[in-house]
Amino acid sequence: MAAIIADNIISPLGFSTQANYQAVKAGKTALQHYDDALGIPFPFTASLFSEEQKKEFTIDGLTLFESLAVTSIRKALESCQIHLDKRTCLIISSTKQNISLLTTDSNPSENITCPGISAEKIAKAVGITTTPIIVCNACISGVSALILGNRLIDMQEYDHAIVCGIDLQSPFIISGFYSLKALSENPCRPFDIERIGLNLGEAAATVILGKENLTGGWNIAGAAIRNDAYHISSPAPKADGCLMALEAVMKGQDANQLSVINAHGTATLYNDQMEARGISKAGLSDIPVNALKGYYGHTMGAAGILETIITLHASEDGIIIGTKGYDEIGVSGNLNIVRNNTTTEKKDFLKLISGFGGCNAAVYVEKEQGARSKEQEKGIRAIFENEAATLNVHHHIVITPQSVQIDDEMIDTGMQKGKALLTYLYKTYTQDYPKFYKMDVLARLGFVATELLIQKERGTRSKEQEEGKRAVIFFGQSSSINADKEFLRSIADLENYFPSPAAFVYTLPNIVNGEVAIRNNYHGETAFYILPRKDDSIMRMITQATMLDNFHTSIITGWLDCKSKDEFYAELSIMNYELE
Amino acid sequence: MEDLILELKEKIIEVLNLEELTPEDIDPKAPLFGAGGLGLDSIDALELIVLLEKSYGIRLASAAEGKNIFTSVENIAQYVSQNRKK
Repeated sequence: MAAIIADNIISPLGFSTQANYQAVKAGKTALQHYDDALGIPFPFTASLFSEEQKKEFTIDGLTLFESLAVTSIRKALESCQIHLDKRTCLIISSTKQNISLLTTDSNPSENITCPGISAEKIAKAVGITTTPIIVCNACISGVSALILGNRLIDMQEYDHAIVCGIDLQSPFIISGFYSLKALSENPCRPFDIERIGLNLGEAAATVILGKENLTGGWNIAGAAIRNDAYHISSPAPKADGCLMALEAVMKGQDANQLSVINAHGTATLYNDQMEARGISKAGLSDIPVNALKGYYGHTMGAAGILETIITLHASEDGIIIGTKGYDEIGVSGNLNIVRNNTTTEKKDFLKLISGFGGCNAAVYVEKEQGARSKEQEKGIRAIFENEAATLNVHHHIVITPQSVQIDDEMIDTGMQKGKALLTYLYKTYTQDYPKFYKMDVLARLGFVATELLIQKERGTRSKEQEEGKRAVIFFGQSSSINADKEFLRSIADLENYFPSPAAFVYTLPNIVNGEVAIRNNYHGETAFYILPRKDDSIMRMITQATMLDNFHTSIITGWLDCKSKDEFYAELSIMNYELE
Repeated sequence: MEDLILELKEKIIEVLNLEELTPEDIDPKAPLFGAGGLGLDSIDALELIVLLEKSYGIRLASAAEGKNIFTSVENIAQYVSQNRKK
């Protein structure tokens, strides 16, 4: 249960949390219609920084992405007195980092295309000495990053976690959503009967989490990530993962304390309907629901953090922010969607969010009524000092472009190499899942590696054990670079501009987690983390952090990196949580 | 029409990465989506919309519009022959 001790938002609406909150409270929106901005050959509505604003946060020697992150983090640090040392970690939430600098012939080892190297530059500029972690978990990245920071503080790995969510817009992301027919050319209308799609936005938002125990402070009191195990880009019609995440964070909480559920509310037909179903199935239909996309658009990696900050400050101010763009209800479930700003006496709130790869996240944010009691403090520590349960590796696999090893056994490769080796493994060990051929190389690598691990496991464990509530957590260095280039090729030529939806969906590395969850019907947490380089101690720390969610009984985890179709490395394990 | 059907089959296999299929495997009258057909999904439908625009200059406004056209290869061929701009 970490405390939120400082925050900052930099968006087209302003460069501080207060400027942003006051603008939103006054009903201002950053959404604008553009006929042909950013070199995109179709009209769209988005929330974009002006050239003057970009100049204001540009820092010499850093990219625009890095400059924006550094500016937001520095501003958040100004508002609190913390000492940056070995006990401070940096967690960056971002879906596409420096993507506007990528070209179809970029070298996969270049810094520009290596998000972890970029994160190290951000850390250095701010003065953080520990290895930065990038959460790249599609649209839920922001909330996913808050959850990780919260856990690392609970585990006493760090005293402070600086969590910065950030994404900038470019033809890449906007054309991708255009190809998915998910964009509205006009301002979006969350939960409205006439909603037809989303708008994109750019922003950075930073929260500093600490172990401080402040009277009247704000804590993350509940957190969960669950997978739909349904589809890589469509939300589950029955809201499976959303409902499970809501139920997990409401366990032991009193819904009467909730002022609002701040929903994802992207204004796509399917997302809003799915969330409405999840909220009503969870028995929370009476709780006011709002969404902030009408002010900022969908700010991707920043969204979960930005929207949490705005909701927190509104709650502090006794206000529920109205859902700009919403007029008449267009979702089922008799939801209480807040149209205009209203007052509230209650303080606690839920942040809800969903994303590609089938992931859903929820956090319960509570205002500390007094200081935490000794018992509560003890309770938190007791969980993490309990070393009776340990994570044991059951099976282990290493796949390189020319070899496969499971546990101690080398597997026949059919003399195949690179991408052809992955196809050989699929044809030899799986056969009945033609969806394999639609996957990009990273997803194929993750898919065959987990198929082989699970087949090995089948001989040794019961079905219940095997289908236990399993998390799927991957780490990599190169994110989705190969798929990124593939998609970029479809928009490289303005005369022949046909952005490919099938290529775009794989430009998020956590799609591979979604593929594994769908194939095996896993509803546990799924997440993809980008590190500057393979680092077993950080990976172990995050794996253990995942297991703090006691829903999980086992985890498939490890390094999964693909630079090109001939250059990849997978080293994954199935681990089980066992009482000694 | 036969030529167009064969051309469409080849293009569909290519853009949808149906690596294990040949044009002969696809029954032009069989449903493309759902059980009993090729088992295509919503992303495939969007990719077919791109195919129509790129190869034949036909622009569909929404995924819903595609639903009535992408019922079978034969139906797509009929629609293309009546609406193609290139």
